[in-house]
Amino acid sequence: MTVYDVIDLTKIYPKQTVPANDHISLSVEAGEIFGLLGDNGAGKTTLVKQMANLLAPTSGTIRLFGQPLNASPLYTPGQIGYMPQDGLALNNLTVGETLYFTAHLRGMSRPDARAERDRLIDLLDLGAARDRHTARISGGQRRLALLATTIAASPPVLLLDEPTNDLDPQHRRRVWDVVRDLNRERDITTILVTHNVIEAEKVIQRVGIMRAGKLIAVGRPGALKAELNQQLRLEIVFPPDQPPTLPDGAQPREIGPGRWQVLIDRDAAPLYLHVLNQNPAVEDYLLSTATLEDLYLSLAESTTLTDSPLPPQGGKGSADRG
Amino acid sequence: MLSIRKTQPFPIQLWDLTLIQLANWRWSWRGNLLTALIAPVLSTVALSVFASNRGLNTLGYILTGNMVMSLLFGSFDRVAGHFAYMRAVGRLDFFATLPIYRVSLILATVIAFLVLSLPALTLTLIAGTLILEIPLALSPWLLVVIPLTGMALCGLGALLGIIVRTPEEVGNLSALITFLLLASGPVVIPLDRFPGFMSVLSLLSPATYAASALRQTVLGMPDRIPLIVDIGVLSAILIASLWVVGRRMDWRQS
Repeated sequence: MTVYDVIDLTKIYPKQTVPANDHISLSVEAGEIFGLLGDNGAGKTTLVKQMANLLAPTSGTIRLFGQPLNASPLYTPGQIGYMPQDGLALNNLTVGETLYFTAHLRGMSRPDARAERDRLIDLLDLGAARDRHTARISGGQRRLALLATTIAASPPVLLLDEPTNDLDPQHRRRVWDVVRDLNRERDITTILVTHNVIEAEKVIQRVGIMRAGKLIAVGRPGALKAELNQQLRLEIVFPPDQPPTLPDGAQPREIGPGRWQVLIDRDAAPLYLHVLNQNPAVEDYLLSTATLEDLYLSLAESTTLTDSPLPPQGGKGSADRG
Repeated sequence: MLSIRKTQPFPIQLWDLTLIQLANWRWSWRGNLLTALIAPVLSTVALSVFASNRGLNTLGYILTGNMVMSLLFGSFDRVAGHFAYMRAVGRLDFFATLPIYRVSLILATVIAFLVLSLPALTLTLIAGTLILEIPLALSPWLLVVIPLTGMALCGLGALLGIIVRTPEEVGNLSALITFLLLASGPVVIPLDRFPGFMSVLSLLSPATYAASALRQTVLGMPDRIPLIVDIGVLSAILIASLWVVGRRMDWRQS
């Protein structure tokens, strides 16, 4: 069953000429965890707000379970839980009160809403914040409280905009576990926007990559990465003043001081490893298949010329050899 | 076609949302104490010094005029600020993604802020009566006039909070409008102290009807505007302002 059908959607904000969303067409199927990736200003939040019926499109349509979003006043709010990128929700209430009222207003009975509040407080480790006002808790707790509010009463569709912002690694992992469990146990369809590409890869089943308002790629991460996976990713760590010499044709990209990343053909891997093993200055290296982040960067590069790799390395070069 | 999931009936939505909005006392009580109680009481004290020998009629205007001031600060000003704040911090987006009717949120906000303004109003009445030593002639119509006046001013506050761009602009404008409403008619000062044209101009101010209704129901003072007209105008202001707020507060921004 198709949950969302986005058809030729364009959004141009008032007094702007460049579209925030440019002729986007997209389908999200029931039970999917769909990730929206893209750099800042790519139009992800605009797209998600339109899917939540908080923003009217300039042109195009969005259907939710086959119906227009405004089929009736309570139609879309009755199906979705929306977690904004920021916002305090109900900062005059405590976390416990916010969860209770949200669950109750989403149709639960009062005893069930109380039980849902307690369940969510346990699930997201919010016990310490339960009786505190949402305005007076830490940024991380507020983010978790907002996620708990979003998933209260288990709406069949979740729209999560940067759910792991402001969270420490332990709580980021908890959030991804919750998203995965909701999908697995309750068949909840989730559309999420994130910058945490590497972490999100563990839960995303299908991905859409946005750039400059356009959807430049949609598909399963594995399928999208298939082309990239013809190559391996080699990360090399070395003292910044002793860059290693790489085989002919290598195009290393500097990803930090004393850190290169090189995409290499699979059959060239033994040669590269041999060269690196012979170089005592090389502190560490990591050989892996492509990640979603590589895919995103590769697609971003293919649509812009602003990022250019370092010049190709020729021969053994001038690096010191031990 | 998938049906809409279970939602709460309108009265339950209204009750929950009113409780949610009542929780605003946690931040609003200090401001309420200052503007909706201390300011009217101080104003009563100050004016009583000048008006002590001007008769019951003038003292009546001071008492009920300061009750209007309490309501303006406690309902109009607070609701304007609250709607502006809800827009600014994304709280309206939160409500927009809950299965609730817009009208239930608007009504709940108006009811909650009316309730929150009542303690200061009551204390202003008691303090004013003691300071001015004026006899009360409370009418049963007071039970209609006070909620109606408070809600009509809340409705106007909601309108201001929805149509003006930023919370800062709303704050400045609501303070300015509050003082204009208090000064532009027979609210605190009797009509015969104003230039002649004010008797017509003052009919455009909601505060004129609020003060007139309070004078008639708190003190039993006769007024040039019959109580039924005050009630009619205040009801019309309430309905019209809530209708416009409902139209302007589109969940879905363009």
